[in-house]
Amino acid sequence: MNAGLTIEGYTFAHYISLISGSDLAQTSITSILFSVGATIVSLLFGGILAWIVVRTDAPFKALAFLTTIISLGTPYILYVTGWLYLLGRSGPVNMAWRWATGSNDVVFQVNSLAGMILVEGFLWSPLVFLLLSAVFRAANAEMEEAARMSGASIVETIWYISLRLAAPAVAALALFVFIRNLEAFEVPALIGIPGNVDVLTTEIYHSVKRMPPNIGFASAYSVVMILCIAVLLHFYSRISAKAEKYASITGKGYRPRPFRLGSYRWVGGAIVLFNFLIVLLLPLSAILWMALTPFVQPMRFSALSNLTVENFENILSQPYYRELALNTVIVAASVATIAMVITLFVGWTVARRKPAAKLSEQLVTMPLVFPGLVLGIAMLQIALKSPIPIYGTLWIIILGFVIRYIPYGMRYTFAGVLQIHPELEQAALVSGANTFQKIFRIVAPLLAPALASGWIFVFLIATKEMSMPLLLAGPGSQTIPVAMFDLWSSGQSGEVAALGLLWAMVMTVLSSAFYFLTRRASSNTFG
Amino acid sequence: MQDFIELSALNKVYPASGSGPVGGIRDINVSLPAGTFFTLLGPSGCGKTTTLRCIAGLEMPDSGRIRIGDQVMFDGKSGSVVSANNRKIGMVFQSYAIWPHMSVFENVAFPLRVAKGQSFSKNDIEVAVKKALATVNLENYGDRPATKLSGGQQQRVALARAIVREPRVLLLDEPLSNLDASLRDEMRNELRRLQQRIGITTIYVTHDQTEALEMSDTIAVMHAGEIQQIAGPREIYFDPATQFIAGFVGSNNWIETMVQGGAQDALSVSLQDGTQLTGRAREPIAPGTKVRLSVRPERIRIAPGGQQPNNGNQISGVVRQSDFVGQMIRFSVEAAGAMLSVYAENGSVIGVGDNVTVSFETADTLVFAN
Repeated sequence: MNAGLTIEGYTFAHYISLISGSDLAQTSITSILFSVGATIVSLLFGGILAWIVVRTDAPFKALAFLTTIISLGTPYILYVTGWLYLLGRSGPVNMAWRWATGSNDVVFQVNSLAGMILVEGFLWSPLVFLLLSAVFRAANAEMEEAARMSGASIVETIWYISLRLAAPAVAALALFVFIRNLEAFEVPALIGIPGNVDVLTTEIYHSVKRMPPNIGFASAYSVVMILCIAVLLHFYSRISAKAEKYASITGKGYRPRPFRLGSYRWVGGAIVLFNFLIVLLLPLSAILWMALTPFVQPMRFSALSNLTVENFENILSQPYYRELALNTVIVAASVATIAMVITLFVGWTVARRKPAAKLSEQLVTMPLVFPGLVLGIAMLQIALKSPIPIYGTLWIIILGFVIRYIPYGMRYTFAGVLQIHPELEQAALVSGANTFQKIFRIVAPLLAPALASGWIFVFLIATKEMSMPLLLAGPGSQTIPVAMFDLWSSGQSGEVAALGLLWAMVMTVLSSAFYFLTRRASSNTFG
Repeated sequence: MQDFIELSALNKVYPASGSGPVGGIRDINVSLPAGTFFTLLGPSGCGKTTTLRCIAGLEMPDSGRIRIGDQVMFDGKSGSVVSANNRKIGMVFQSYAIWPHMSVFENVAFPLRVAKGQSFSKNDIEVAVKKALATVNLENYGDRPATKLSGGQQQRVALARAIVREPRVLLLDEPLSNLDASLRDEMRNELRRLQQRIGITTIYVTHDQTEALEMSDTIAVMHAGEIQQIAGPREIYFDPATQFIAGFVGSNNWIETMVQGGAQDALSVSLQDGTQLTGRAREPIAPGTKVRLSVRPERIRIAPGGQQPNNGNQISGVVRQSDFVGQMIRFSVEAAGAMLSVYAENGSVIGVGDNVTVSFETADTLVFAN
């Protein structure tokens, strides 16, 4: 301990040992490689699909939206489990390889950086698809027609005009996904740790989970992460502003007609099918297989006779899981409600540029710099030192989630308020309403679609979140993802799969509602 | 060349709605000499934009033929069609469609950079772009980013981009509708002078009849997908072919009357109270037909009191409203069972409530059967 760097009980010793250890450099590089790779994978899969679905007349488009809806409601851990099975040592991919080449080895080691990149990329491609299809859908026909009238071929029009116009929005999205990949925990924990591939988030997790926990070290790591992410977020808001400027310039006007692919329609259809297969069908089949077999076994026709529903029976019969489901729903519903109420007022304040708008906006967007795990540690510290006994209860989880998801709710209310013409509110004022009456009787009803979309979105992502509850959950306050992680850690993949499937089915109903709501309200989400 | 542009029997039917232009077109026939300023005039949904976009190649007609010069751009019978980017037509869009990610120079240079079958050197491009920008009075704006342009400047850049390749035809889709009133007046003037200066065959689409009358050599008035009349501005104004045109172009008064008899250029019609008027019609109308007699406000004379010492049409009435609008006074006169709008010189001393006689010549009327 360097006594000279100690001030009244606080110390820089952790930072020193962090920086002087070679681990930080190595872990950071791994984190960056992981994030860059995963961003590229999800952009390729989600982006190409979005273009084909929105701008061409390719068939099977419904499959793309089906994938998006189902993945919105699926906990990450379930999805990762599916891929771990597919790509694992005794999974179908390696089995087919061994059968084809006769070797005893594996063609693909899933517990590697490559495996992490692939799975994280697949995990994010439905959201990338959703957001990029909103960007491509906003294309302005006249911009492209002007290029055609100037003599450009279709390819030249797309290259010089359509793609360039979409570039800022795509760049903003790429940066956003990159930041989220940096903060990711599920894939590095489930795939990376068994393969000894460490990124910043898993390093933090290690520090907290060892005995005794090295909170100081974890916090030092966290601060480094926060600083980097803050810088990235700054660039993100600049690119975003440019994207919004282009959108407002090109926004008025009608949408282009779909490109007729003619004889290439089958290529478009093949790409849509391929995407559906890789991103949804394969992992889902793997999960279904795991849920229906009594213990993990390779996919063989001979094993078909062993199929059983006992995993489902186990889950459904134990009151423990019902309690978990209830906890998760209570947490998610409370978080969504609290977050939307807060962001109703803050979103309105910022959108209407009332006094304290700037400050409110900074405060409300700040939680974005905290990875879920880091926020969890901070909450842990608060809970331990708090006079009110919230440690280990649902309340600390709710508090952490509210802080984490307020920025997401903000995007919905902010964009929603912007779409309400100020004169509607001014008319209320002139008619004699005060500010509260105006907000509750005019703004809130008009904002109802945005509020509903925001509520469902926050609810859904709150049910999927694993890293924070993992740190904060006590014995009586566990959530579904935490339970799934525990089951997975003790090798009970069958139960993980069954629980996850049942849960995902219920959540899919909600995510369908969300999807149809946002299509009709046509409000802007991110980037 | 006479009949430089020829549209023959163009038809296009639109299925159920979506976004984009609405309104089909039926049996459109147009024949234009080179160098003319031709306007498609009509209310929204009349099909004028659809016709323009068919000429541009952005819409595909269902049937008919489109010929520009000696090139057939579209032939419904043989199925031959030239794609929009190969028609060498300059077009200015209603929203200008200036690309925000490029500078002014790059916007205007784009047609030269993607030109097929012709390769322009860097120098050629610079010369051509500078020339186009000078034509629209934006010489020094080359380096400016497109996002930093006002509405009027964007419109000029759009124009420069449309003419930089010196095309044979220029299409303009309501280019002035997004400008404020004073800018619109200025640009109307400039556009017309520019067109005359470079002599390019121009097809212009608008719903504003002032623009159409002021700028055009020939106007086609469209309504519900059909062309109702193709003629010069004066003929459209003084000899409208249909009731719709008579009401749409300029202001008009309508008096309900019944035909008593007479030839088409001296039709005797009578009002409900028995007053006889003489009007003219575009075709013979049988006696006993209910007709509407139209006469423009500026062609009606208003004088106080009793009869006038001439033989033109005369009706007595009472002034109900008097509006001073600067260059004239607008009277609303209750006469002949209708409210007649009369424009009088701004020094008139006639007041509200006065008994007046309004009079007008037969040549200034047009009678339409209902």
